[in-house]
Parts: sequence; structure tokens; C-alpha cells
Amino acid sequence: MTNGWTDIANADVVLAMGGNPAENHPVGFRFVMEARRNRNAKLVAVDPRFNRTAAVADAFVQIRAGTDIAFIGGLIHYALSRNRFHEEYVRLFTNATFLVKEGYAFDAGKGVFSGWDDERKAYTDTSSWNYELDERGFARVDPTMQHPRSVFQVMKAFYARYTPEMVASICGCAAADFEKAAELITSTHTPDRAGTIMYALGWTHHSHSVQLIHAAGMLQLLLGNIGRPGGGLNALRGHANIQGGTDCGMAYHNLPGYIPVPKADHPTLDAFLAAVTPKPLRPASTNFWANTDRFTVSQLKAYYGARATKANGFGYDLHPRLPQAESGGYENWSWAYIFDRMYRGDMEGLFSFGMNPVSNGPHSRKVVDALSKLKWLVVAENFDQETASFWRDDIQALVDKTPADVATEVFLLPAANFAEKDGAFVNSARWIQWKWKAVDPPGQALADQEIVARIFLAVRGLYEREGGTFADPVLALDWWYENPVHPTMAEVAREINGRALEDVRDPAGNLILRAGQQLARLTDARADGTTAVGNWLYTGMYTEAGNLTERRSTADPSGLGRYSEWSFSWPANRRILYNRCSADREGRPWDPARAGIAWNGSRWVGDVPDYGAESPPDAGVGAFIMLPEGAARLFVPGQFVDGPWSEHYEPAESPVPNPLHPPQSSNPAVRPFSTAYDVLGTADEYPIVCTTYRLTEHFHYWTKNNAYTMQLQPEFFVEIPEALAREKGIASGDRVRVTSARGSIEGKAMVTRRIKPMQVAGRTVHQIGFPIHWGFLGRGRQQGSLANLVTPTIVDPNSHAPEYKGFLVRLDRVGGA
Amino acid sequence: MSAGGRRLIRYDFRERLVHALAAVSYVYLLLTGLAFWTPALYWIAVVLGGGYLSRVLHPWAGLVFALVVLRMFLLWRRDMHTTNADRAWRKAMAHYVRNEDDRVPPAGRFNFGQKQLFWVMVWAALVLLLTGVVLWFPEAVPGSLAVVRELAVLLHAAAALVTIGAFIVHLYMGLFVVPGGLHAIVHGDVAESWARHHHPLWLESRRDAER
Amino acid sequence: MATPLDIVRISASTPPAPGVRTQHIVAKLVDTTTCIGCKACEVACQEWNDLPPEATEQSGTYQTLPDMTARFWNLIRFSEHESERGFHWLMRKDQCMHCTEPGCLVACPAPGAIVQYANGIVDFQQDQCIGCGYCMTGCPFNVPKFADDTRRVYKCTLCVDRVSEGLQPACVKACPTSCLQFGTKDDLLRVAEQRVAQLRANGYEDAAVYDPPGVGGTGVVSVLAFGSQPELYGLPRDPAVPASVRLWKGPLKWAGNAAMLGGLFLAAVHYVRFGRKRAHGEASASSAQGDRP
Repeated sequence: MTNGWTDIANADVVLAMGGNPAENHPVGFRFVMEARRNRNAKLVAVDPRFNRTAAVADAFVQIRAGTDIAFIGGLIHYALSRNRFHEEYVRLFTNATFLVKEGYAFDAGKGVFSGWDDERKAYTDTSSWNYELDERGFARVDPTMQHPRSVFQVMKAFYARYTPEMVASICGCAAADFEKAAELITSTHTPDRAGTIMYALGWTHHSHSVQLIHAAGMLQLLLGNIGRPGGGLNALRGHANIQGGTDCGMAYHNLPGYIPVPKADHPTLDAFLAAVTPKPLRPASTNFWANTDRFTVSQLKAYYGARATKANGFGYDLHPRLPQAESGGYENWSWAYIFDRMYRGDMEGLFSFGMNPVSNGPHSRKVVDALSKLKWLVVAENFDQETASFWRDDIQALVDKTPADVATEVFLLPAANFAEKDGAFVNSARWIQWKWKAVDPPGQALADQEIVARIFLAVRGLYEREGGTFADPVLALDWWYENPVHPTMAEVAREINGRALEDVRDPAGNLILRAGQQLARLTDARADGTTAVGNWLYTGMYTEAGNLTERRSTADPSGLGRYSEWSFSWPANRRILYNRCSADREGRPWDPARAGIAWNGSRWVGDVPDYGAESPPDAGVGAFIMLPEGAARLFVPGQFVDGPWSEHYEPAESPVPNPLHPPQSSNPAVRPFSTAYDVLGTADEYPIVCTTYRLTEHFHYWTKNNAYTMQLQPEFFVEIPEALAREKGIASGDRVRVTSARGSIEGKAMVTRRIKPMQVAGRTVHQIGFPIHWGFLGRGRQQGSLANLVTPTIVDPNSHAPEYKGFLVRLDRVGGA
Repeated sequence: MSAGGRRLIRYDFRERLVHALAAVSYVYLLLTGLAFWTPALYWIAVVLGGGYLSRVLHPWAGLVFALVVLRMFLLWRRDMHTTNADRAWRKAMAHYVRNEDDRVPPAGRFNFGQKQLFWVMVWAALVLLLTGVVLWFPEAVPGSLAVVRELAVLLHAAAALVTIGAFIVHLYMGLFVVPGGLHAIVHGDVAESWARHHHPLWLESRRDAER
Repeated sequence: MATPLDIVRISASTPPAPGVRTQHIVAKLVDTTTCIGCKACEVACQEWNDLPPEATEQSGTYQTLPDMTARFWNLIRFSEHESERGFHWLMRKDQCMHCTEPGCLVACPAPGAIVQYANGIVDFQQDQCIGCGYCMTGCPFNVPKFADDTRRVYKCTLCVDRVSEGLQPACVKACPTSCLQFGTKDDLLRVAEQRVAQLRANGYEDAAVYDPPGVGGTGVVSVLAFGSQPELYGLPRDPAVPASVRLWKGPLKWAGNAAMLGGLFLAAVHYVRFGRKRAHGEASASSAQGDRP
């Protein structure tokens, strides 16, 4: 979230799209209700189904799964063509004024950007997706935004194709419904109004998911909603601590704090830093990533302690580096690629902590088959689950095998659950909130850190005694915890925050930290090895003042639900990111009733400002300090592999060719896997659009072990529109089978008016959907109903997230008519 | 026995047993029913083992009563048709009430009043049974048929009240007004003179049958 | 707002002695327009009241059960409705309405099995309950539910145990959107009216507070977007204690009592006036009149 849960209460318009917050974030949804009750805010829900959020929305538009970019593109066009955008804001805070490099083009007929190689069916030269630079290496700008190559003009031309009629044709909604929603959503373009977008996995689970969020970012920037109380682009995270996981290096390509992972062709620390540290693109730009050296060195010091010396690049030489791939680029170790490798026999073992890949998918059958090619599998879980039991006969039957065919040695380690251990959750609002153990774990269950510690110590012992390949990272690791088998969470939190290893002085030579003291500010980190910081992003959470994540003050002097003394919000306890955008050129809040920060003549007051509190508004320091431009990116230069603009591409499986450019229907940058499991269906054979989702009654595949939640939603079901059910002779409660090119799943039919047939590109298209929560193990009737038996292995080319949320199926009634 | 001469069997054992069962079950139903009817008499239920037990047993007693009434119906229905003699008796009922029995036309085995009691009890038992089943299993009535439950409580009470009226008359007559009545239903025999007095046509038919 | 449990009405009993303590009437507000059907209230109710999970089955709806049960006192009802404004998915929390004039209490024959506290809560005392189920008939909302095993009737207590300790009911505590609120009825009616005014201004001209006068108002008041069509939410339009129950507990009762007492009285009069019939052989009453003392 750029903003936070409590801030949603300040919105005038809430767009819930690509998420169903009433269903999946019911507690946070209270702030939507507060906005509605107290501000008479309007809620717009856009979804493939009339869902729980739609039930309380002021406007609902049903769209075909996987067409969100067309809808958002339509909103962008609506805003630009009707002058419903915040021009001054756009000029001040975005790259709309920047000039795009000559040579950039988009072929609207072919549906590809410049740099596309027709022969190799790939983007082979994306250098044109960039700014025009001046001789100093800074981007050229045209403050009037009239230059034909200004980002603004290019954008306007690009999205001119997204007319309401085109949106209706792609999304399968009525143009009038789109326009009604557009009117409401773009009503926030005035300085006195603010609107927020809440999205979740309905946006991130597509083959164009990153571009989809890019599109939403563009829309919010055009409307002047980023950085303002009541505005923002708010990702609703799907687990209590998924934000913390992401921040702390969960994705294979990042170290904690979003530091890029070292690559094979970065042999030294200096080479690495030279490759990953961006250069400023505007003269006054903060370019905060210029601090990459401090954060990297401090992190390496936290890893390797005294073993990190200047001589070995502060431990860089000990750190693993991502190998280059045979096919070019670097190896990809994201989820779907892990299981593809595993299926190909390239992996020996897997640690699966708090994960259930057989259920999570995509394509459960491929996962089951892949797991059986492992030598060993370690699962740490609260309950036995499908992955730990993938060898069972009923699960092996999915891939026409038996337990005898499985040689994998499986270890199921009982793990404590969230309430059985201390620690912290980082919520969607970036609040790092300490939590306390409520009860002891049952039986032999241990807290995760103890499981990890015991494995680590045993492995280190083996290396010490027997040696082995690539021992350095293990042997050099600084395992400094008082009880080595059970590091306390407070120790880990202090380590993540960072501490001074020697006295630390500021550039003027003043002592700011004594050796051993906890760091207080992000900028306290040093690149000379005198500080150790686990994750620079969290610096400030555990200072000499104590563990600030334990704070629970409800004091709110702002009256805007900022709660600055409740826990700690990264970065630097900033509650709203890019809050510089909440004020105009002179630093006066756009809306005095909803001030984010304000310049009082000598300093910024309000929230923790984006940059120096005493840096005056006219210094030209951009709000977006993490970008070398200092300005928000409408046009995204050279960051995404599938284009600098968000273009609507059909899901990999689509019932119609892309109405915008049939020759290039789906995302051209997508690289499908190539095993026998990785198949796609055609619209002839699988004519129905299908999507998957979660229910408020359940949490993933976990609560199927709980009798109360199972009572609320006892079994798998398929939601089917009435017209389709009539066509197929299906009644509510009948058993139906949903079949994709990859597999099938059976369950009860729920015939409903909450999904309506759609007119897509002049054809009637039906859409169905089902929730994910059941499987083989758990209470009640599980019936092997794994939703991911039917989902495709197609992944987004940028984030590598699977396309769970839009694919093709066939629907049949099971049993006699 | 008094010098009434020979004695006749008025109720055979089967009839007496059926009547006794009806009496016992009815009295239990009456007492527990009255306890449920008005808080002023709830103490009866307490005396009889508590409200809960009374609520449990009342329907079973009702079932017994209904079966007994059915048996009684099968036993006596042939004797219970209204005859010309009954119509004459009915016209002179005021005399019967005033104990001017010599002005009352002769009655058969059962006089018109007894027959009315019989039919009142049979029909009321039917209503009580049907409504009683509803009240027995109130949870089985779906909300959409709440009216069934609503009618049942009303009709059950109304039908019970009708039986209570009849029962008061019956008990009063049998115990207080007609000497020998109680003896007859308990022991089965009556004096010929009694029969001649109260049920002369029955006596005649007995004699005809004996001939 | 802890409220002592003075009793103001008690089933099948003479009215209790009036308390002198001033007590607020408490109420629960169910704003159906902000309910998201998350069912947190359902489980909170079960957990607070130590009620076991129910055996359920998917039958084509998001609703947990077709109806409340003896161990499931709080049910979110889901219904689909199409109006000129479009499609609507309505969700309403169903539970005991805690009527000001409770039909269950009127119908109950067991002294003390149903009581109404001075704070308005209507509560079943299962130890006094005889399991007759008359309360089910007396209730215009079809709320009390019979347990086959204990043969007693159960329903929402409005968490009287929590309320009397100054806590809010478990369901309200669990509600994430504040669609459920707890407080004094006066306060909540004001909140409800404000919300209705807002809904009307937003085009739901039919919005209304559901606080039916037929039962003297309810302790659970609802905000309905379609106020003139409470049936859409599974609520009766004009709920009242059923006419038959009123007839039964009113005129029929008095008439019946009069008839029974009158019958006994008449029998006594008859006995005094006419006495027993002469035994067989004796002269009939009419010819023996003169013999009477």
C-alpha cells in the first residue's frame, strides 16, 4: 500500500478492482465503510462476479476475467479526453513532461512496441523504451507537455484507442455502465477530492499483472491521487505477513530491502554496485538508491559479521550469485520455474515452510509429478497437508501413479502457528506490528526460527566436519544469538534494524552513534563496514528507544487516522508514501482538510516527509526519491520486459482474439513452459472463461482443518450463471465437472444471477468461477477438490506470478440428466 | 345388593377396561393440560413430577387416550346412532335434568345424553390428536407453515375445553346423580330394576335376545 | 454500560415486583446496507456461547444453514434481488429480535422459563423450560429453535451474560464493518435514522428503520435499503403476536376458565336443587316431590 488501511476512511471514491476486499479483507474493509458512512464516499466494484464487495457498492461493473487493463486504459482515456485529470499535479510529480527517446513506437496494428523481432518473436532491442537524455545524462523535459514526444502526448495518443465502446467490447460490460463508473472514479481529479484503489490477487495473477498495476498507477497519478490522504494505490496483501516476506527477500531476485541479488557477472562488490546503483535522471533528484552501497555493505556485515572485511568486499565474495541462464539472462528461481526445474529432475530437495505447493499450484498435477522427482522434501506445517502427503494414493492418482512410484523421502516437521510464537507481522499498510505468543505450540511443534536454526546448525556442523561444495556462506554466517538453537525474535528484530559496529560519525565529524548502539535512521547505515543492517527498509523500528513495533498508541493529532505512534511503518515511520504529492508547488496541501504534509516556511510538518524535512518545496527535489527521475513513471523506461506502456493483452487462454490487435492477442513477452503438462486450451474446445478466488469464510488451504470455518463453507462449489446453467441443464446442488486442458475438478453447482453472460467482441461469452479452499486433507467433504488442477502454468514475464485468474474451461453436469 | 332381583351385565370386562383406560389417561391429560393452560394450576404439573415430565408424558398419554377412544368408538359406535327414541328423549331432556325421570321417554342402552358425550369425546379426541401431534413436534413445522402451529394451539385448547365441559357433566352424572352408575362402569353389573328405570329399551332388547 | 438484570416480565407468572433502578433499554443495530456477510458474527456467537459447529452442506447459496437451529442462534440470510437500480445481494443477520412485547413470553406456560429484563433483553431459562414449544408458535419471527436431544428451546440471549458485565454482545464485538452496533435503543435509533437519511439522499428513497410496532418495537433494529419490502430480507412486513395466540391466551382463556368454573358451579347448584336420581324402584322425582324435606 502507498497509503494504509486507516487512511482509506479519508477517501471520496474507492475503486475495488482486482480484489474483493469485503470478502478477503473484511477487517480492513471497515475503513471503506467509515468513508461511506462519514464522508458519503462512493464505492465502485469492478469484478468478474457480483461479489461481497459489490453487494455494498454504489456501482458495480462486471468484466471478463483478464481484461482489467482494457478497463483501466478506458479510464485513462476517459480522464485525458474529458479533461478529468489533475494537470498541475501531473506536471509537478510525474514524468509527463519528460521527452521519450526518438525511435520509440507502438505498432497498434501488430500490437507490439518498437524493438520487436518478428523472426525471433521477442523484444530483442528495448533501448528505445527510454527518455531523451541531454549531454549531462539527464532526461529532457517540456513543462508545457505539448511536445509530441512528451510522455503526456505519447500517453494520450496511446490510450486514445481505449474508447468506452472498445472497453465494452473487450470487457463484456455495457459502455454505459463503464461510463457511469468512470464518471465516479475520475471525479477525484479535483484537488478537493481524493480516491483510492484497492487491489489484490485479482490483478497480480495474470500474464500482464505488472502492467496492470502500472496502469492503475498511471490512472491514480493522472487523477492526482498518489501521496494524498484518501488516495493511493493500495495492494491488499493476501497473508498476514506477506508484505514482510516480500520486504525481507522472499523473491529470488531480491535481497532483503529490495537490493538486487548479486549476479554471476558481478564478480566484485564494486562491479555489483556499479551495475545496480542508478544514476540520477534529473539535476535535483534525490535518487535514494545512490545509497545502495551503504545498504548492501551493512547487510553483508549483518550476514557475515567479522568475516566480512574490506578485503573480501565486506563478504560479497562469500555471497552466492545468481547464475547466468543457458538461454540468456539469469536463472529464474521464481515459483513456477522452481517446479518446472523440479519436474525436469534438476532439483534434489525442497524446504516447504508454510507453503502447500500441491494446493497452491498452478497446475497441481505438474506439482505432484515434480515432487516425486525429489530425493527429499521437508515440510514445516501446522497440519498435515497435500504437499507433505503428495505420495498418497488418491493424490498420486492425479498423475496416474501410485505411492510405490514415489521415492521421495518426506519429512513433516510440526511447526508453531502464528499465535504460538512471538514476532512481527508487516501488514498491507507497511506497519511492522509486534505480536506476542498467545499459547504454547502443541506437542513437538517448534517455532520456525528454531526449526531453521537447528537445520542450520546441523548443516554447518556437517560442513565443518566433512567440508563440501560452496561452504563459505554457511560457515561464515554470523550466528550470534544467545541461544543458537532458538534465536529470539527480539534479537532478530534488532539485527534487522541494524546497529553500529564502531562509532559512527556524520559528514561533519559529529558522533551520532556509539559502537553497539541501534541505528535510528535509514541514513545511519555506512558503506565502510561500521554498521550492520539486516534490512535497511526497517531501520528505525528497533532503536535505542526500544522496539517501536510494540507501540500501540491511538493518539491521532492529524484526525486523519495516521496513528504515527502505533507500531512502526516503513520507511522511516512514513504513513503515506510520496506524501510530497499531497501539497502543491508551494507546499500547500491540495485539500487543507486532508493535509498529508505542509511546508510551514521552514520545514515540512505532518507525516514524515519523503525527503529532508527542511528541504524547501522549490528546491525541485522530486517526491519519488526511489526513482532516478524523482518523478513518478507514467511511461516506464526500461524496467519491464513487455513494454513501457500498459497494453491490453488477452490472457494466454482467451475466448476471443484481442479486439485491439488480433495478430498479437496475448502478452508477447510471455514465455510458456514446455513440458507435457504445460498445455493451453482453445476457445473451441474450452469456450467458458473461468476464474478462481477465495472466500471470507476460509483462509487458503488452512482452515479446512477447522470445524467452524468448514461449517460456514463446507465444500467446493462452482458458481454458474443462470443462462449457462439452463443451457447445460444444471440446477443448484447438482454435481458438475470443470475441465481445462490441464485437468478437471468436480463439485456442487451454485447457479446464480451474480454472474451474467457477457457480449464480448460481438459474441456471447459465459464466465464461471470457483473458490480454492478445499483439497484432500482436512475436515468434512474434501473430495480432492483442488482448484489448481485446472489452472495454467503461464506466468507474468515481469513478476512471474501465475495466471490463476483467467483461463478457459468446459463445464459438464456429472451423472444422468 | 339390594332386593332389585336379578342383575344384568351392562359392561363386559373389555368395555370396562377400555373405559378405565380412557378415564385414567383423560384425567392425566386434564390435569397436566390444565397445568399448561393456566399458571394458576401449574402446581398440578409440579405435583405430577414437574413441568418437563408432564410435557413429555402428556403427548404419550394423549396417544393412549386417542387409541382408547378409537377402541371405544369401535366398541360402541353401533349403540350410538341417534334413534327416534332419542329424539323423543331429547325433547324431554328438561325433565331428565330435573330428575323427573318418569316423564322421560324410555332410553336404549345409552340415552341421548350419553350418546352426545360419546360423539363429543370421539370428535374432540380426533381434533386433540391431530393438533396434539403438531404440538408434540413443533420443531417439525417449517416456518412457512407457522399458521399450522398457530391453529393447533388454539384448536387444541378449544377442543380440550369442550371435553372438559362434557367431562364435568359426565363425572357429575356418574358420581353424583345416577346411583349405580359408578358401580356399573367399575363392576359391570346393574340391577334389572336399574335397567328398567334408566335404560328400559335396552332391558327389553336384552329380553328379546334371551328369548 | 453494565445493566443489572432486573426482571420486568416473566412467563406464566404474576408480574414481578417492579425495580426502582433506572435502566436503559439496550438494542442492537443491524445495518444491512453495510453488512458484507462475512459471518464473523455467526462464529463469534457459537464460540462465546460454547455451541458446537453444525453439520452443513453446500446447497447453492452462501448461507450457512437454511434456518437457525437450537445451536446456531445467529444466521446471515443471503438473498438476491433485482430492482430498477440494478442487482442486489442482500445480507441480513437473523436472530432473536428481543421484542418489547414478546410473543414467546406470552405463549409460554412454564413459570419463569422466559423472562424479560429491564434492559429489554428477552431470555430463555432452560432450567424452567418444559419444552412445549409454544414460544415457537408465539414468535412472529420464527426464532426459537427446539433441540431434539435436550428437548428445550434455545435462541439468542443478546449475550445477556456479557451485557450485564458491561460488554457488548459477541457478534457486535466480532463485526468488522460496524454494521452491528450495540448501545441504548434511543442512541441506536438516532444512528439508524441518520443512516436512513443518508441512504435516501443517495437514491434509496425507500430506506427505512425496521422496528416493527406490532410487537412494541424490537431490541434488534435493522436499517433496510428496501424498507417497504422487508420480505426481501426474510422479515415479516407487520409482525405481531399471532392472532390465534392472542385469542388463545386472551378471550379463550377467560371464556374457558369461566366455562369450567361455571360448569362446576352449575353442577353444584343442580345437586343442591335436584340431588341425585332416585334409585331404581323408588318413586320418580316428580311424584315424590312432596316427600322432600
